[in-house]
Amino acid sequence: MRYGGNTACVEVRVGETCIVLDAGTGLRLLGNAMAQSDAPPPERIHLLITHTHWDHIIGFPFFEPIYDSRVSISIYGLRRTQPSLRATLANAVSDPLLPISLESLNANLAFHEINHTMCFSIGDHIHVSAAQVNHPYRALGYRVESSDGILVFIPDTGPFHTILFSDERVVWTGKPAPLSVEEQRALARMREAIVKLCAGADWIIYDSQFTPEQYLRFPHWGHSTPDQALDIAREAGVRELLLFHHDPHRTDAELDLIGRRYAQQAPPGMRVCVAYEGMELRREH
Amino acid sequence: MDIQFWGVRGYVPTPSPEYLRYGGNTCCTSVTGSRGELIVIDAGTGFCQFGDALLEGPFGRGEGEMIALISQTHWDHILGLPFPAVVHVPGNHLTIYGPDSTRGSLGIIYDGVLSPVYSPVYGLANIGATHDFRSITSEPFSVGGLTVQALPCSHQDDTSSIWSYRIDEGDSSIVYFADMRYANAQMFNDAADFARGADMLIHSAPYTRAESMRDSAHSRVEDAIEVALRAEVRQLFLFHHAPSRTDDQLDELLAHYRAELAAQQSPLILEAAQEGVKISF
Repeated sequence: MRYGGNTACVEVRVGETCIVLDAGTGLRLLGNAMAQSDAPPPERIHLLITHTHWDHIIGFPFFEPIYDSRVSISIYGLRRTQPSLRATLANAVSDPLLPISLESLNANLAFHEINHTMCFSIGDHIHVSAAQVNHPYRALGYRVESSDGILVFIPDTGPFHTILFSDERVVWTGKPAPLSVEEQRALARMREAIVKLCAGADWIIYDSQFTPEQYLRFPHWGHSTPDQALDIAREAGVRELLLFHHDPHRTDAELDLIGRRYAQQAPPGMRVCVAYEGMELRREH
Repeated sequence: MDIQFWGVRGYVPTPSPEYLRYGGNTCCTSVTGSRGELIVIDAGTGFCQFGDALLEGPFGRGEGEMIALISQTHWDHILGLPFPAVVHVPGNHLTIYGPDSTRGSLGIIYDGVLSPVYSPVYGLANIGATHDFRSITSEPFSVGGLTVQALPCSHQDDTSSIWSYRIDEGDSSIVYFADMRYANAQMFNDAADFARGADMLIHSAPYTRAESMRDSAHSRVEDAIEVALRAEVRQLFLFHHAPSRTDDQLDELLAHYRAELAAQQSPLILEAAQEGVKISF
């Protein structure tokens, strides 16, 4: 067991500030690590949610700090007409799906719904911006910028040439429907915003679920290939690309091969790595 | 009957090295009758591997039929259902029995679980296999040569409805208790009556009585053993292991309780359910 089987969760520490990107099953391990640490848990945790598909929220009720009255958690996610971010999470964890309610949690929760164009600060030294990515029912990518470096998190997105995802379900007939001019323009704008979000980043953590062969069969799932991730990384001039959101059936041996193949394709000055559970990233000074 | 464990963990999947031997997937157990009847009990994340294993047979061709018995609608018993490819192959048919809830029938609950805010499936209507949700009752029913019985096991303080299952084929029988707690002596009596003489009792037992924890909604290891002894079942499989319980700890726990049973000269065979293990009788 090398790359790991937990779903999306990345911890970002800037000084004393704790930011968590998505609440997949990995969040349970982060909570356990905090509980086992000699240091007290962070007083405030900033949880940035890209979207609320199950693999991005399933760790939340198993995150130890939500039961700790010393902790405040600020939860950020996409603003929708309905349901609200709070209602989405509340409905997921309450009867009959789980026996808890957000009101019963000891931690103090605050919800922040954000537009995809929004920029905001955490403390006075961390800047977060978001952009809409190309995923069913819409999702966000985040850029977290501080003096420690620039990290971009885009765990789920399709590429920008086949299908434009929105709130409506894409009815798949076996081949993509031709794109209208408006859709082509919308995709181009979305891609441009993503490249801008990634511009000059130290690290981008990017959806690479599919092989190119799989992509041709499942473009309507809203996931990318390493080649598509590499295109964005190259254009944005990033220092390191972390391939992420591995397909559930992708074995360690296959990921080894993918890692070797795409490391060779990286342009000069860029590293390409396959993200693995437990991996740590630090800017080399 | 062939019984196979596909997921034995409770609460949340634990895909980490210290859980690899017993397994980290959540609740899913399959029961295959001697004429090929297929019943799956609970559809936690173990259902993903279970579904993949079916691709080789009729399910891969859109000619598969399965019965699913859902014990309750908490995540660790239902969330695996929409993932495997066989569920999206037209022609396959799923009949899903389970409890209704305060928020509506099992079908309505699944429709909510698959709504676009949580799932790219966009609702139950887009599952490729045909499916039929049925409210579980205490009335026994047949699946080929198998007889299925259900026992309501919720206590008045439980917020969701919990059911246990018994499957008989000729002289062979398996009983499944998940996620229940024994709130009073009557529940022990009912459970022991329901499990009477079974070849195999699968019983959720995430914690021991000595372990203090937040969760008071689950039966303890000692409860499972007590019911198994009173019901005179042949073998007891502890199930729904706590996410904190590592493989080595499960080994120790088993050794401890086996020694206690040996000291009492009990014939009960005690095991811990292990992902992938198949038992035939």
